[in-house]
This record gives sequence, C-alpha cells and structure tokens, in this order.
Amino acid sequence: MERVPAVEGLFSEKDGKAELIGSRCTTCKTAYFPKAAICHNPKCDKSEIEEHRFGGRGKLWSYSVQNFPPPPPHKFDAPYKIYALGVVDLADSGLRLMGQMQVENFDEIKIGGTVELVVDALYHENDKEFTSWKFKPVA
Amino acid sequence: MQEVQVIGVGLHAFGKTGDKVVGNKSVTELCRTAVDAALKDAGVSWRDIQAVSAASSRFSGGKGWGLNGNDVVEEMGSTGVPVYNLSAGCAAGGNAFNIGYTLVASGQHDIVLVVGGEVMPKGFIQTSGVEEVTDPEFLRQRCVGMPGPSFWSLLARRRMFEYGTTEEQFAKVAVKARKCSVHNPYARFQSEITVEDVLKSPYVSDPLRLFEICPVSNGAAAVVLCSKERAKKFSGKAVTVAASTVATMQFDDGLPRGLASVIPSGATLHSEAKGAVTKAFERAGVGPRDVSLTELQDNTVYYELAFPEEWELCKPGEAESLVEKGETLPTGKMPINPSGGFVSFGEATTAMGVFQVCELTWQLRGESGGRQVPNAKIGLGQTLGLGGNATAVILKK
Repeated sequence: MERVPAVEGLFSEKDGKAELIGSRCTTCKTAYFPKAAICHNPKCDKSEIEEHRFGGRGKLWSYSVQNFPPPPPHKFDAPYKIYALGVVDLADSGLRLMGQMQVENFDEIKIGGTVELVVDALYHENDKEFTSWKFKPVA
Repeated sequence: MQEVQVIGVGLHAFGKTGDKVVGNKSVTELCRTAVDAALKDAGVSWRDIQAVSAASSRFSGGKGWGLNGNDVVEEMGSTGVPVYNLSAGCAAGGNAFNIGYTLVASGQHDIVLVVGGEVMPKGFIQTSGVEEVTDPEFLRQRCVGMPGPSFWSLLARRRMFEYGTTEEQFAKVAVKARKCSVHNPYARFQSEITVEDVLKSPYVSDPLRLFEICPVSNGAAAVVLCSKERAKKFSGKAVTVAASTVATMQFDDGLPRGLASVIPSGATLHSEAKGAVTKAFERAGVGPRDVSLTELQDNTVYYELAFPEEWELCKPGEAESLVEKGETLPTGKMPINPSGGFVSFGEATTAMGVFQVCELTWQLRGESGGRQVPNAKIGLGQTLGLGGNATAVILKK
C-alpha cells in the first residue's frame, strides 16, 4: 500500500529515519515547525531564516489521552482506537513539539522520559496509507 | 479619563439547545432578554444607550460576519448608535467590555451597552472547516488531533507531574463548583455532585472527566456602563470599574499552541492571562491578596488550580490544599468562581467575559444570596481566548 503524508511538505521518511521539515533563525537560534518565512521572535534584531530538519530524540513534557473520536478535520480508521498525544521538548533545537504517541500500552508513557521521532500510519483512505509524525518511547 | 461604573447587569439563563431554559431560541432572542434585564436593572431606556460594544460570534447570528452587535441594535430598535463588534475567541466578551469601558472612560460616551450571546453547535468546538495547510489549527487537528479537552488534559497531566495533584483533587474542584451552582438560578447545572459522581463520569481526555470540563451552552449576558457623573441619576447601586485590560501572549511562554512552540525559560504558561491580570492589578492599585473574589475562565477544573498561582493569589503548589480546606468556596479566604463557573454554566463562548461582570457586580452589591462572598469589596474577572487573547477586569464597591 502506498504511504503518503497526511499533509505534504511537513516531514520526510528516508531509510526509516523520520525528519520534520522546519526552519531556524541563525541570528537568535529560534526553531520553527512548520517552516517560518521570517523570524517571529520580537527580541531578534535580524531575521535570517534557513531550512532546518528536526529529528532524533527528545524529552516528554506532558501527554494526554483522546478518549473520544475527535471531530474533523482529524481522520482516523474505524473502529476508533483511543490514542495518546504528547508534547516533546527537543532540547538541542529549543523546539517544543506536539504529536501523537506510538505506543501499544499507555503505561509506556512517562513524563520526563525519552522519546524518538517516527513516521507512522494515521489513517487509510482510497487504498493509501496516510502518515504523520509520532513519538515513540525509548526503553 | 472619567470614572466608569457598572449600573446595570442582566443574563439569560444558560442551557442546551432543546431544553426547557433556552429551547430553540435564537441568539438574538437570548441577547434581548439579557439586554432588557440590564436596562431595567440600570433604570435606563434603550434610547439612553449611546453606543454598543458586542462580542462577535463565529457560531451564531451576526449575519455570518460576526456582526452580533448589529443584530442586537436592530432587535432593540435602530437608533443610529455606533456599534463595535469584537472578536477574540473565548475572550471576545472581555474584549467587548474593554472597548465599552474605554468609550466611557475616554469621555466619548456616557452610557454604553456591552453584550455577548451564543447559540453553540453540539459537541467539540471544531476548526473553521477550511482545509488550508497554512492554517496552524488545521495542521494541528489533521496531523495530531488535539481538540480543546485534550489540550487541557496535557496541562492537567503536567500539573500532576509537578505537584502530585491527584484525580480526587481535580474532582474536588468540580464538587466545589457545583456546590456554588445550587444557589445560582442562571446556571445550566444547579445540583450538587459528590467526588464519587465525578470519578464515575467518563474520561473525556484522561485525566479529565466529563464533570470536570465545561460543555458548550447557549446563553447571553449584558452590562450597562456609565460615567460616574451621569450614574448619579440612575440606579444608585453602581459599582466602579477599577481596571479593564486586554493582553495577548508572549512569544516564548511555551504553551503548546499550533504544532510547535519554543521551550520557555520561565514558569508562566498563560502569558496572555498573566499579562492582562498583572496590568489590571497595577491600574487598579490593588494586589492579588486584596481580591475578595475571582471569576476566572475554568474551561476545566485545572484552571481553578493553575490560574490563582500564576497570578500570585496563592503560592505555587498551594491551590489543591486551599480547595481541600474549603478556602475557594464563597466563605473561604480565596473565593474562586462563586457563580459556579464555566463548569456549572457551560461555555457560551462570547458571552463569558460579560457574564463574569454580571456575577462580580451582584457579589459587590451583596445580591448573590446563598453564593454570596461575605463583605465582598474587590472582584477580579478574567477570560482567555484562541489566538493568545486574554482580558481582565477589576470591579470595586
């Protein structure tokens, strides 16, 4: 089945390695996802934006559980399966990132724990698998 | 600047479409009831109103353009008055109040009506429906799937991690809210509940449960503002607006908005709310410990714990014990949401900032019956809306 990003241009998946396509201001080091065309940091004097790829590992700041099917425009496979979502701090880049968690069991999720960025299926439609980035706890 | 007073307030009781309270009334009908009540309370006629400041709704009325103030003026009788329609997500009622206040304070007008009303669609509040990849809300919902309650439960879970807050403690906040609601005839829920009832209600987003999250409601609120000089001729039960402020978020507060934000250096998450409240304290010349009662935006019980700490009404990590000792009840030393709050009313989004002013006014007049805060002298109100919007108001006797 063909794997397609749920939204084009936000992330890439090469040799099993997940990367988010964002940007970064080289003056003040502020990281952006999705890409920003100009630096939004009011303390920054000179906007110098370059493309930046985010990936690897981060630390879970918090998480929640989506006990009910969310409304559109979210899409999911039927029957609905409860998922968790997390907020992850990527200390190296200073980015605090939202995403779903890829876990079998919610007990695996620990605030302060290390997670890895992955690309995983979000839903299936028209014989295609639509993907998004997710966080996978590292044991 | 001239001193501004609240001389009349009015609400339409809150309910759910189809129930006995709001039935199938339109937002204009709800607003009419609230406006008529506020005018009567103030002792002024519709023809005395010199300007209208209204909250814009994206859900109901307003001719699809958020022109809700124009709907109200047409309904009451078009007199040619200037109308301002203010949009700020759930903070819109607070924004409308601020503009109404500014119109009087600046001396442009002496008597101004502030109004907000809502007929809400069922279920989770949804995005605009436009699938546009440059819209961060669309991206957040398509790629992650994080409706409002899920966002709140992220914050609640973080608080559990930082302070050891338990699910029982969250439940106790809801129990307190409903204890107050019993004495409020305008609330959608007016019955007491127990900790067991709350803990038996289903998770909406673990760790937050159905009874700990405000549903959407239909309702309306109106306030008549007047210069102190002119107010002498009217009701005689005026309260003073000591401060009305608006703020937006700081770039680096770290609240998880959109798909990503920056890792913050400080502790305050809701910088817009903190900004509005701090500025209100400065302008009113009062401190957080001088406040007799607070009406804050409790979309969920989490906020009754977090906000008083962020604004220094109490110490960080202290809120749970204050709730457990009954100190957040109307009779406690830090009364929070004696009205019953959003948890008891549900959220008629754009009415809420105006609704809070109604409650603060009744409290300062000593007209709140079984939910009265004894000897209330200074009241604080606060809203928070999508887009990093917030407002605060301080009323005093």
